[in-house]
Amino acid sequence: MDHPSFPRCLLAVALAGGLSLSGLAGAADTIKIGVAGPMTGGYAAFGEQFWRGASQAAEDINAAGGINGKQIELVKGDDACEPKQATAVANRLLDQDKVAAVVGHFCSSSTIPASEVYADAGVLVITPGSTNPKVTERGLVTVFRMCGRDDQQGPLAADFIVKELKAKKIAVVHDKDTYGQGIADAMRDRLKELKADNRVVLYEGLTRGEKDFNALVTKIKASGADTVYFGGLYNEAGPLLRQLREQGLKVNFLSGDGSLDPAIVTAAGGPQFVEGAYMTSVREARNIPASQAVVKKMKDAGFDPSGFTLYAYASLQAIADSMKGAKTSDGAKLAKWLKSHTVPTVLGPKSWDGKGDLKDTSFSLFVWEPDGTYKEMRK
Amino acid sequence: MDWHILAQQLVNGLTLGSIYGLIAIGYTMVYGIVGMINFAHGDVYMISAYVTAICLAVLFSFGIDSLPFALLATLATTMLITAAYGWTIERIAYRPLRGAPRLAPLISAIGMSLVLQNGVQLSQGAKTQGVPSLIPATLRFGEGNDFVQITLVQCMIVVVSLTSMAALTWLIQRTSLGRQCRATQQDRRMAAILGIDTDRIISTVFVIGAAMAAIAGVLVTLNYGSFDFYIGFVTGIKAFTAAVLGGIGSLPGAMLGGLILGLSEALFSGMVNTDYKDVFAFSLLVLVLIFRPTGLLGKPEVEKV
Amino acid sequence: MPSTAASPATRGVRWNPVFRQAVLEATAAFALALLLLGPIVGLVLDGYEVKNELQRPLLIAAIIAVGRFLVTLAMHTPTGQAALERFNARRRQPGILVVSISENNRQRWWLLVIVALALSLPFLASKYWLTVLIQAMIYVLLGLGLNIVVGLAGLLDLGYVAFYAVGAYGLALGAQYLDLGFWSALPLAAMLAALFGGILGFPVLRMHGDYLAIVTLGFGEIIRLVLNNWLEFTGGPNGISAPPPQLFGLEFTRTAKDGGMSFHEYFQISYDPLHRFIFIYLALFLIVCLMVVVVTRLRDMPVGRAWEALREDEIACRALGINHVLVKLSAFMMGAMVGGIAGVFFATYQGFINPMSFNFFESALIVAIVVLGGLGSTTGVIVAALVLTVLPELLRAFADYRVFTFGVLMVSMMIWRPRGLIRPRRRAFEVKGLCP
Repeated sequence: MDHPSFPRCLLAVALAGGLSLSGLAGAADTIKIGVAGPMTGGYAAFGEQFWRGASQAAEDINAAGGINGKQIELVKGDDACEPKQATAVANRLLDQDKVAAVVGHFCSSSTIPASEVYADAGVLVITPGSTNPKVTERGLVTVFRMCGRDDQQGPLAADFIVKELKAKKIAVVHDKDTYGQGIADAMRDRLKELKADNRVVLYEGLTRGEKDFNALVTKIKASGADTVYFGGLYNEAGPLLRQLREQGLKVNFLSGDGSLDPAIVTAAGGPQFVEGAYMTSVREARNIPASQAVVKKMKDAGFDPSGFTLYAYASLQAIADSMKGAKTSDGAKLAKWLKSHTVPTVLGPKSWDGKGDLKDTSFSLFVWEPDGTYKEMRK
Repeated sequence: MDWHILAQQLVNGLTLGSIYGLIAIGYTMVYGIVGMINFAHGDVYMISAYVTAICLAVLFSFGIDSLPFALLATLATTMLITAAYGWTIERIAYRPLRGAPRLAPLISAIGMSLVLQNGVQLSQGAKTQGVPSLIPATLRFGEGNDFVQITLVQCMIVVVSLTSMAALTWLIQRTSLGRQCRATQQDRRMAAILGIDTDRIISTVFVIGAAMAAIAGVLVTLNYGSFDFYIGFVTGIKAFTAAVLGGIGSLPGAMLGGLILGLSEALFSGMVNTDYKDVFAFSLLVLVLIFRPTGLLGKPEVEKV
Repeated sequence: MPSTAASPATRGVRWNPVFRQAVLEATAAFALALLLLGPIVGLVLDGYEVKNELQRPLLIAAIIAVGRFLVTLAMHTPTGQAALERFNARRRQPGILVVSISENNRQRWWLLVIVALALSLPFLASKYWLTVLIQAMIYVLLGLGLNIVVGLAGLLDLGYVAFYAVGAYGLALGAQYLDLGFWSALPLAAMLAALFGGILGFPVLRMHGDYLAIVTLGFGEIIRLVLNNWLEFTGGPNGISAPPPQLFGLEFTRTAKDGGMSFHEYFQISYDPLHRFIFIYLALFLIVCLMVVVVTRLRDMPVGRAWEALREDEIACRALGINHVLVKLSAFMMGAMVGGIAGVFFATYQGFINPMSFNFFESALIVAIVVLGGLGSTTGVIVAALVLTVLPELLRAFADYRVFTFGVLMVSMMIWRPRGLIRPRRRAFEVKGLCP
């Protein structure tokens, strides 16, 4: 043979395979739970939040004695928010790591194909961040979510725009992504019901990952809009707000829970740009007494539990409680238990309907203060 | 379209285009001299944004409140460190591949880009980072609702990019180093025979490209205030498109390509649709290349037997 | 590399200057590493402030310096010099291996072993490894397709993922709007992709080398952006579901569509998603084998010879009367068609696609497969595709460092083997007795 490389390649692959397999032989007295999300790539910030939140929850539950005497062991799964990797990692979590339940997947476009895999295997999965209605609309028994749905917060914003702000011209901007476009469309649908859809003077999408939205801002200015609704995440909302203000536009700005994050102040370059922006979100988790201690603990450890951190924490709590309650790790039984009980979580007591959506997701409006904090608006 | 809207869009396009142009220089020079697409260049720009923010934070933590000094010191440090990155990347990933098939450095560059992106993510975390708005001043023309508002940083972007372009053109056209660069670009073997240390010249080109990306990084960080480890990818592809549009290998072409790309993006998204502005940018590139196969200012290729 | 190290004949090394050189180089490496890593690794941004983590870059820089020191010393020992010489000698090997036909035939029995192994794998592997294998097979197919364009015809295509997307969306949209099944969509999507290849190829094939690369890159991005923006037709970022494959009308689903019959019901076995994957794997394997045969035959046919001739010297070919546009176009459409087929399999395996799967990185990965495979070698492409798809999965054991390590490995593999893992072989025709 004149290809010395070929057998050597095989050897290398086999060696690496052996290494990875040998690392998996875990102790039997732990319960493995997968945490899946974008740990690398453009959305990695959210994967980090998932991991930190779930890790803290596992630590706290383990300190309190674990689940039925067993300790929780978390397994990280990276999907980079890509459907292909999402199914691969789902299969890996099930097959290689033998997880009993999964906290996971951030992007709805990852959660949808991955949840098919989990449901096929009858494993419980709770997503802390996928808000697309389709996630729970496909009749999969073991799929739950810890967050609201796109079609719940859009309408609230629309009501506020029409009834409180009395906007004459509305510009709708989204980030061409499942979540952002989802809430923007839900908002627009509600405007239609309110017979106010003729007030929408602009409906356009910006590109995620870009920082220059000046051209779009000028277009908003040209459209004469007095209110801007943005469907998207704080990474883009920050620069967009800043550029609106820098071009001298004094418009109302509304967005969803993906933007309601202290990090938006950093992303915008200072609290002066964010001041006065309105955002819809579920009741702010960090102000709930149950979460104060957790927030303090994580802040002391050097991580600001922003974004979806506490949602991941609560998801793991729900999984742990259902396992304690149903005394099994069978997905179908856990699902049945969760749908008939209320779980006390760091986000307050939570219960689920037959589809796996949260029963009580009262969205409310928040407004940013000049000092870079936000408060809930009084109704 | 009203005059003030048009003027505002022109300003938007010019600032964006200047940034593209600055980054495009790195692509165009490297391509001109070694004939490879340096896919890691976008990530070098990303690194410069991080260095800018770190440098500013360190300076402020030492209690330095003279803004001009802080900015100049940051610019100098960022250029130095980013240039070191350019040098090291060439040394590690591309120099061992001198003489290898043309596509080998391309793959090495893609690998390097993954290393830089994920290295920064591992050490700095994945979240969006930022610097405070340091120069809030804006210029306002017009009154009532018909006005154009430009930030001082936007003016700085245009002025600084044009100045650095001029300086670079002078360097390439008038100095001995520039002559050596041009000689190496035309015929590397002949240049080597004539006593030019071509390896050193290639390193220099990487250093210059990285330094230009560093200028862009500082300006962008000041202007937009936020960045993450992924910004190199989107901006990198755009800047590379600009370099090809202007004619890859040509310095004025890079700037021209950048400006045209920036202006056309701004005007298209202002007049037609923001969703399709990137589709328009790439279609423009395809069209230009169909009619001018070597870009706007590129020299037509001579077919040699 | 120190220049003295290249000469193997240095006997009786004088250690003192060598030692000094090693110390100097180690110090330089330490200083450079500190300059590069100091701010990025050592000062972590936290809001508008930085946290001091300077011990990290110091540690890394120290490791680099020690490594550099040891490498420099090792390079001056006879063993080190011999190793370096071997390394350089291999890098200097010619790109193409010319073998006679008789020699080529000797390895046939290998093929049988590999085919038997590949056919038995799905029944042995766990579901996870089966899905990894399916993905690897899809990349093998993509690699084979792009190999025609890049490896054989020498046209750098950085937007190959466009045809992959056309195939995948061909199946998903065909199922949604025209009610096409998997098997009817397969040839249609392949033809559609080839048509796209033709439409794109025709105006741009006059361009040279890297201009072609960037135009194809642009085209790939345009397709992805249109798929993402055209919400009404493609579902935009929300994606679209693709139908599962069928075997003679039997569906691989838990419950069949109205009127249909599912595979497990027909054979009266319990439902297992594994059946679907095994079926996809076997079908894919069949197509890959078919492709390998087709490509091998094509290379010996006039059109294949014209591709390779055009890659080597376009002007000579045109002077000899080869219609370069048609020849290039045929390679381009052929490659696009294979990409389309791969896309159909990808969509049916995933069951759900969205534009995220067709970004530029995917194109780059396929190009990497072809380059790492040795530009033109069919065996090489297969090995490289397996390495580059199985590797990231194996690297999941590295958790956070997965993609980082993957990047490092990509760079080192290129440096280790700049001409690819396997050298392409070209058959020589020899006449016995004439040549010594």
